[in-house]
Parts: sequence; C-alpha cells; structure tokens
Amino acid sequence: MSADHPSITGIGTVSPFGPLRGLIGQRKTEPRTVTAWPSDGARRAFLVDPFRPADVVPGLKTRRLDRLSAWCLVATALAIEDARLDLKGEDKSRIAVVFGTGFGCLELTESFLQSMAANGYAQSDPIVFPETLTNAPAAHVARIFGLRGPNITLSHKGLSGEGALMQAASLLRTGQAELAIVLAGDTLTRTMYDWFETAAVLSGAAFDQSSVALSEKRDGFVPGESATAVVMESARRAQRRGAPVYATFRSGFAAGDPKAGVSVARQALGDSLPTDVRVVVASANGSRALDDLEGVTIREVFGAEAPVIAPKGFLGESDSVGILRLIAALSWTENNKRPLAVLLGTSTVGGCAALSFELP
Amino acid sequence: MDRSSNQVAITGIGAISPFGQGLPALKSGLLECRSCLKPLSIFDSGLSPAPVVAEIPELPNVDQRPGFRLSRTDHLAVLAALDAAKVAGECSDFVEAGAIIATTVAGLSEIEPGIVSDPAKYYRAGGFARATSYQPSHPADAVRVWLGLRGPCWGVSVACASGAMAIALAATMVMTGDAPIMLAGGSDALAHYTLSGFNSLRALDPDPCRPFDKNRKGLNLGEGAAVFVLETLEHARSRHARVIAVLRGWAMTNDAFHHTAPDEQGRGLADSIVSAMAMADVAADAIGYVNSHGTGTPLNDIAEVKAYETGFRARSSPVPVSSTKSFFGHCLGAAGALEAAVTIAGMQASALFPTLRLTDPIESPAVDWLMGEPRQQPIPVGMTVSAGFGGSNTSLIFELPGDSKLP
Repeated sequence: MSADHPSITGIGTVSPFGPLRGLIGQRKTEPRTVTAWPSDGARRAFLVDPFRPADVVPGLKTRRLDRLSAWCLVATALAIEDARLDLKGEDKSRIAVVFGTGFGCLELTESFLQSMAANGYAQSDPIVFPETLTNAPAAHVARIFGLRGPNITLSHKGLSGEGALMQAASLLRTGQAELAIVLAGDTLTRTMYDWFETAAVLSGAAFDQSSVALSEKRDGFVPGESATAVVMESARRAQRRGAPVYATFRSGFAAGDPKAGVSVARQALGDSLPTDVRVVVASANGSRALDDLEGVTIREVFGAEAPVIAPKGFLGESDSVGILRLIAALSWTENNKRPLAVLLGTSTVGGCAALSFELP
Repeated sequence: MDRSSNQVAITGIGAISPFGQGLPALKSGLLECRSCLKPLSIFDSGLSPAPVVAEIPELPNVDQRPGFRLSRTDHLAVLAALDAAKVAGECSDFVEAGAIIATTVAGLSEIEPGIVSDPAKYYRAGGFARATSYQPSHPADAVRVWLGLRGPCWGVSVACASGAMAIALAATMVMTGDAPIMLAGGSDALAHYTLSGFNSLRALDPDPCRPFDKNRKGLNLGEGAAVFVLETLEHARSRHARVIAVLRGWAMTNDAFHHTAPDEQGRGLADSIVSAMAMADVAADAIGYVNSHGTGTPLNDIAEVKAYETGFRARSSPVPVSSTKSFFGHCLGAAGALEAAVTIAGMQASALFPTLRLTDPIESPAVDWLMGEPRQQPIPVGMTVSAGFGGSNTSLIFELPGDSKLP
C-alpha cells in the first residue's frame, strides 16, 4: 500500500441512528412511519428523527437552510472532530469538499415550487431560491469551515456516494487537494416517496410492518435518508499527524452499463484474491432487478462463500447511501482480519461501480 | 502531476446555442457581433414584461429511445454531445468513453409548481414521465444512452461554474486513466423555475445586459449546451485524431465567503487563476485572452475585476477581457462549457471577441476591455473563468496545438 493512497481518517453521520461520530456500531433499526405529510394508510421509511443541529454542534446556525445542508454541516463537524483535525493549523486552500447526492435540496425545492404555485412566478421566494441549488450543502460546508479548495457536487443516481469517494481520491492523487471532506446525502420528501410509489418500486415493507426488506420475495425497497461525511487524506499525512485510519482507498472503477458489474469488480479486486476480502458491501436493496444483477457479480467475482453485507436492509435506499454502507459494514466486520473491503454500487438505470479499500 | 508526458487534448467540441448548432455557428455569430438577446417568446414566463433572454427557437430532433424521456436540458446535451463525437471521429475505444455533464436546471424545466400540492395525483395525471428527468445526473445519462457510452458517467452541479468544472473533472479522469476518452460539458434550458428565481433576487436586467459597464443592471438568462471530447495527447496521437486544442491547466477553488455573493476582493477567483497558470506552467503575460464570467450583476463584475487585478498582478500589460454573455446570455450550468468553446473559437479565428454594449467600463489598470468590433490578434494561450453561487470558481487554460511549446 502506497503512503500516498487516500485514507479515511474521520467519520460523521446523520442517519436513522441519529447524528454520530465515528463508526455507527453493530446497530439495526426498522422502518418508521412517515408523519411529515398526510397519506392514505401507513407509509414507512428509514427516517432520521428530527434534531436541533446546534444541540450536536454548539453554535451551528442552520436557520433557513435545507435539511440536507444542515445535516451535511453536522456530519462534517462530527467527521472533523473524529479525525482529530485542527483546521486552524491547516492550509484551507488545500482542502476540498466533494459532495454526492441523487436529488440535492429537495425539501426547499418543493418549498420554492410552492411559493410559485401560491404567489405566481413573479412573486416567488427570494430567500429560498438560492438554497435550492444542488451544491448548497457543499457550499455551506466550505463557508462555515472556511474550506477554499475545490468544491464539487456530483450526482449519478444510486452511485452518487461512490462517485464522491472516487473524485475525492482523484483530487488527492493528482495534487489538486491535500485533504478532502467527502460528503453524501439525500433527504426523503413527499414528491420523492410518491414518485417511488407511483413507479411501483417499493417493498411491502414500506407499507406493512409484517413485510421484511431484502426477503426472498425481493418485492422492492424501503426508502431511506441520511448524510455522511468522511475526512480523506493521504495515509502518509494521516500517519504524520497521528490520525486513526478506518480504511485506505485502493482503487475505484465505474461504468455506465449496469451489467458491467463483473468487470468493474474484477478491476477493483486487482491482484488480490477473493479470499483476501473481508467484506463485500452490496448495494442490494430488495428489488429483484438490482439484487439479481449484483448477485451475478458477487458469485462470479467473489464466489458463493464470499462474506457479503447488504446494509440497505437497515439503512434503506437512497442514491447517496454508498459511503454510509461502507461505514456500516466496517462495524460489522471488525473481528475479521482479512485486508480488503469492496464497496459495490449498482443502479439498474445508471450503471455500476466497485471500490476497494485496504483495512487496518 | 506530470505535465509534460500527459497533456489533455481536446479532439471534439459540440455546441448548441442561440446562434444555432455547432461551433462554426457560434464562431460566426460572435465574429458578426450578433446579439441573441430579446424578449422571451418560446413560453409564457408569467413575468411582465417578458424577460430578455437568449433562446433557441427550434431544436433539431434526435431519435427517441424507448423508456427514456428527454427534458429540454437533456435534449440540448444530446445534441451537443452528438456534434462533439462527430467532430472527434470514430475510434475503437469510444464506447469505453465516459461522460461528465453539468447542469443546474436539469429536468426542472419539465415540472410545474402544482406538483407539490398532491404529487401522487400530479404523477397519475401525466407528470410521472416528466419527473423522471428531474435529477442532475439525467443529462449525463442521456448522453450515455444516446452515444452508447460504457464508461463512468457523472452529473455535476455547482451552479454557474458547473460547465467549466465538468471539463476540469473529466480532464483529471483521462489523466488518471479512469477512462480513455471523456465527454464533458454542460447543458441548461430556459425554465420557469430559474426565471422566477433570478427575478425574485432582482438579478435580471430588463434590457440586454451590459457586463462590466458602470451602468450594468443585471443578467439575462440564456440556454444551450457545449460538450468537449477529452483524451490524453498520447491517446489522441495514437488514433491520429485532430487535436483542436490542448487543455494546459485548470484549477477549482471556493470563496468560502457567502452563499450568493462573491468574495468582494475576488480572492477565490484570483486563486483559481493563479493556480491554473501554475498548473499550465505559463506566465501571466502569456495569457492572450480571458473569457470572463461577466454576468452583468453589480456584485459579480466588480469582484471579478478585483480577481484580475490580483491574479494578473505579475503582468507587464493589461489582460484582454470580455464577457460573451452579452451575446447569448447566462446559460447557467452550460455557461462555463459554452464559454470554453468560445475561447477556443476566438483562438482559432485569432479574434478577441468584445463585450457588447460596453461603453463605460469599470476602471481597472489590470484589464484591457474589449469593446466594439472583434480585435484581430493571435491568441496563443486563452483562459476562461467561471464562478457561481456557493462560491465555486473554475479557471481553464487552453493552447492551440500549432502554438504548442510542449514536447
């Protein structure tokens, strides 16, 4: 492992487990009933319970921000703290922010649409409009923490978190940044939930407590919401400042073809053997098409006995949950001493990705 | 990064703009000093009087693909990407190419405000298919599907610096070997959403805009797309592709100052200018033209001038600057890519395009304001700069292959 390889040295999450610093532990949770909007019958999802950001990060002001921006600020503060990073001693022009999201600031986008619907196009809300931009969460992180390096917001359906990790690693490897805050997040709103329901992609577990996500029925997924931040820096840099290393990014590959999973997973595995793999972090979500595609990749590349975890079973589905899946998997595999984790991302409509990480 | 053995070549540029389709149409419009700015006519904006915009009255058709609905933004992206691929020529590993397409509007152009009162009802009443194009990744996905690309595919959305940033990210990807070829650029359509939003901020000039003029009053929105084909110089040479230009350097920074207002001293933008020149290994005096961000808003333009004063402090003469948003408006997520195309078009034509309607410019010893008619002058190295809400800045530096001082 090269000392220049990007390593994850700090973790902050806002998830159905609440706001947490570091690994999330061996926790599981069940979908909860949605109460944020009226509906006929129960609608369930893996939801983040409301909290006051200032209770987690004293002094943090998030008034008028989209919930996603607020969560990203909280997650970033927790990740920086977890990494034992003193920003006062850092060259902030060399710190990048890379944010992956499927939908961006959907909640305030709905609010702005509401202002247009209610008042007409000529009387829409000027306070809300700028907060609806997809890059608003990353921009607020830069502003609050004074980070003047590259500030990137990217999106690609179910691979949005994986994409953020890959782009951040590229920035570090090419010297365009020295340290990166890698963010990923999406919130669940009514327009999104109703869209999933209209598209008939939700599991029975999204409506009925007796149904179980990721069951043999594979009848669909249960939506989720979260925001995750990780601090990424070179292994050498982490060692120099005595920071803990959770995982070191070795390689990442992506393809636009969802059926290219075997190819990208083989590339990510590289010269390593399947027996080197501590855990394959699947993006299986309970929908037949996605799970079948990923099942082929896992069987062909890692073998039928591969240790596999599918964290969407307890985190829910969202386009940016990739980084959180990796973090969840690390908690569940601490006793296994094999050196490698492989994060798979599959989107039946957007392609696939495979990222490999060396574990301490 | 090893800059001598691994330069990024541009082998295709596709564009769709209010001047028409293709880089030649864009170049002709600029050389003829035609302004595309006029009152919006392609839909009723709900604003009175109709806002001054740069619109594309009719889009050429593209083939339909089953199960894939194109938003207007997607449609523009696909047209520009097809154009770029045609220019770049066929090669065996084009299918392994990836795409990074920037947008701010994406499918918002297809969604009515009424969606929020009862989304399920809206979807059942025909809005479902239109909403499929909502995500910022959709234009990139459309390019992937229409061109049959199998490589990595990402959408980028960093407000008005998006298009330039997509090119910078794609350049990084070809340099690191993530894909042999990348298609990169930006696309955005005129939409009720953005017209209403910028109107609410009182950022729209009711007349054709006057970037960098002391009497500037705001911006005009436009629409369009530009897509570049990027590959390493080695790869381009190995397939005997015509190299249109070389992307010598780029830099991305953030102001970390305010969500909507730029740093008053233009510090973030200046940093990106200086860092891009360092990466390109060119002196400040070598920059023959800067295609500015130049929106025409009071705050942006003055901050940008400050950035030039800082970024080009080492120059012995003022740097030639213009804003071509005075021709075709502010195309948001497409702006950075379209203006990169404009920069290269000017370099090819040895023409410094002016800022239209600039008669009383902001005074600055650092800037040689381009006004009136295009100025004929060789441009060995050109730069385009982009900035956006959220403080994002990106600078790109191009060189024509004939002028290359590279090994």
